[in-house]
Amino acid sequence: MNSSIHERACHLIDARHVEGIAASEREWLEAHLAECEACQARARANELALQSLRQNTVRVDPALVSTTQARVRLRAQELRENQARMRTLWMACGLSWLLGAITAPLLWQAMSWLGRHFQLAPAVCITGFAIFWFAPATVVGGLIAWRRSRAAALQNW
Amino acid sequence: MEDETREIARGLRRHDPDLLDELIARYQYRLPRYLWSLTGNREAAEDLFQETWIRVLEKGHLYDPRWRFEAWLFSIARNLAIDLLRRRQPESLEALLHPDDEGTAREWPDHQSASPFDAAAAGEEAERIRELLRRLPPDAREVLVLRFQEDMNLDEIAVVVRAPLSTVKSRLYRGLEALRHLVARTS
Repeated sequence: MNSSIHERACHLIDARHVEGIAASEREWLEAHLAECEACQARARANELALQSLRQNTVRVDPALVSTTQARVRLRAQELRENQARMRTLWMACGLSWLLGAITAPLLWQAMSWLGRHFQLAPAVCITGFAIFWFAPATVVGGLIAWRRSRAAALQNW
Repeated sequence: MEDETREIARGLRRHDPDLLDELIARYQYRLPRYLWSLTGNREAAEDLFQETWIRVLEKGHLYDPRWRFEAWLFSIARNLAIDLLRRRQPESLEALLHPDDEGTAREWPDHQSASPFDAAAAGEEAERIRELLRRLPPDAREVLVLRFQEDMNLDEIAVVVRAPLSTVKSRLYRGLEALRHLVARTS
């Protein structure tokens, strides 16, 4: 038999399992298998090998499912609580920003009055205003970063 | 299928506990079987099973419903298994996943051949099959399991194992040939 025909048949015997073959190739292969015992043996060996593979079973601990479900539910609860806390925190941040924006003109006027009353340089008044303005946001940002690093450390531990 | 994957994606984003319970029960055999094929160890497979679902919960918002859920689930499981293998055997991670340059398959290190699990496992036939699988190169074993036990298509397998399609095909052909020879020898 022509070796290239045989090679083609061997390839198709494997390919029909691995990646599928076209209908025309399937017909050609069936016709070839009807005549070639060596290729028939290869095809049977493939079927046997795959049948063995599909029979592979793994016994698992019967409690695995319930244990996993319980653990996942607990973690889901933690995530939901954390999300609720973060939502509250972000709302507080938003409210803080809004109040800050509303009171900024008043704060500026207060700083100006202080500057005039205590005869402070304009740069001091501006710096004081900036520190007072950014202090709350800086504190909140630091708290959030600290909470996240603590949560990450607890998870790793 | 698309409706189901969208439903799963929505449920994962909401951290829906009932959905997660259902998914855990649905994959209670397939996922440990795949993890066993990677680790060769029942205890590791069960630990990784739990860790995989915790990760699914935490990263559920990243699931793309255009893909089958199994492919995403198994890719998470695979990454966790690799991390575990890396922690346990850092010097042989590459050796575990890829055959050496001469093309000879490395023996899968079986530290559990005398485990109570193996002793209690159903039947000599099951053990024979597991022994056959242990002798396969790990990269070929993995794709054979995904293709012929999990019925994944080649694109999905490529996503799970993070390899090009041509590499997946090559491993499948090589694995099928190796498995055919092993089965023929032991039959």
